[in-house]
Amino acid sequence: MNMIEGCPGSRMLNFKDKDQKSDDGPEGKIESRLRQWPIQMHLISPVAPYFKGADVLLTADCVAYALGDFHRDYLDGKSMAVACPKLDVNQEIYLQKIKAWFDDARINSLTVLIMQVPCCSGLLNLVKQAAQEASRKVPIKYVVAGVQGDILEEGWVTD
Amino acid sequence: METYLNTGIKQIIDQFPEVGGILDAHGIGCAPCSVGTCLLKDIIEIHHLGEDEEKVIMAKIAAVLFPDKPIQVPAMKRKISTEPEKISYSPAIKKLMDEHVLIKRYLNLIPAILKNLDIESKEGRQLILDGVDFIRSYADKYHHAKEEDILFKYFDADHGIIKAMLEEHKQARNHVKAVLDALEHRDLDTIARRLTAYRDLLSAHIRKEDEILYPWMDKNLSIKQVGELFSRFHEADREIGYSPEKYQALVERFEEKLNPKEV
Repeated sequence: MNMIEGCPGSRMLNFKDKDQKSDDGPEGKIESRLRQWPIQMHLISPVAPYFKGADVLLTADCVAYALGDFHRDYLDGKSMAVACPKLDVNQEIYLQKIKAWFDDARINSLTVLIMQVPCCSGLLNLVKQAAQEASRKVPIKYVVAGVQGDILEEGWVTD
Repeated sequence: METYLNTGIKQIIDQFPEVGGILDAHGIGCAPCSVGTCLLKDIIEIHHLGEDEEKVIMAKIAAVLFPDKPIQVPAMKRKISTEPEKISYSPAIKKLMDEHVLIKRYLNLIPAILKNLDIESKEGRQLILDGVDFIRSYADKYHHAKEEDILFKYFDADHGIIKAMLEEHKQARNHVKAVLDALEHRDLDTIARRLTAYRDLLSAHIRKEDEILYPWMDKNLSIKQVGELFSRFHEADREIGYSPEKYQALVERFEEKLNPKEV
């Protein structure tokens, strides 16, 4: 790979070995686990029925493309929203919506899925800030995905 | 071998003491456990050992159980990965572990409480009564109730480790009852013996939960279940009718008065 120049989130990478057929396991159509619309953070209402008491997944834009089993392993059973902490504008509203998830929708849990690139950590920081400002506490899990679809880190947000 | 895999570990160690030594050498403390109902086949997964170490341990145990013939031990089917890794606890489990901290602080006070205890004096008897109040209201009603009435219900009640923990809760309650009976009869020896036994039992019990049970449970809980547990724990705390801060203050008062050395 080339030396890092400029923003790691924009660094060009070429996964040549992915041209070879990988071992995907049994063939077959994978059913979508998406159970709502809209999903973009600017468009969702945090108190929509599918968020009330739900397990929620907040994922950065790029994650679903990196993780081959996104629907099965992460989205299954959850309501979701998607955002880009680097490129989305007016993110102040995101803070209010996440707080509304905690306090008004009274969600059961929140899983935050981000990429390994540094710009993505902004999404997790936003969630942490919302959690501190919210009056209701909720378990928050974070998962950091590598650009090649591996899971680099996962853990729980603590006070 | 299949029969032994489905036998309680205490029964195996009673029959083959060398097995206890093998487990101990790999950091698995089944030999001193007072209950020992965990099945041999579950020991490895509960203690989250890697597959290589599992093969080594099981080969050694098989050699003890069948000294005259080589036995092929089947690989244990695991529901979850048990490779040693950094443990990160879910907020629900962490809450229970944080409650252990205060309980351990009280347990650490017991030798100092017993030293020069005068049960003929009102002050001496109150020291014991306050301790029993802490044990029954905080350690038992506030903490153990969350385990028994909520957490353990998410797992198979017949699992050896769940049965072992419930049995130890029962033994702990018996010790406390015996302390109160002894206090009524001004029996200092029994108070000292039972309170010390309670301390030893709970110390080992908490260590097992923190190092073995809780990590294993956490790995087996879905995010949905973690959310439910977290919510139900907080609801249970709200419904209990008293503030746990009272018991924090009690332990601090004891510590200030008795100044025990950390054991």
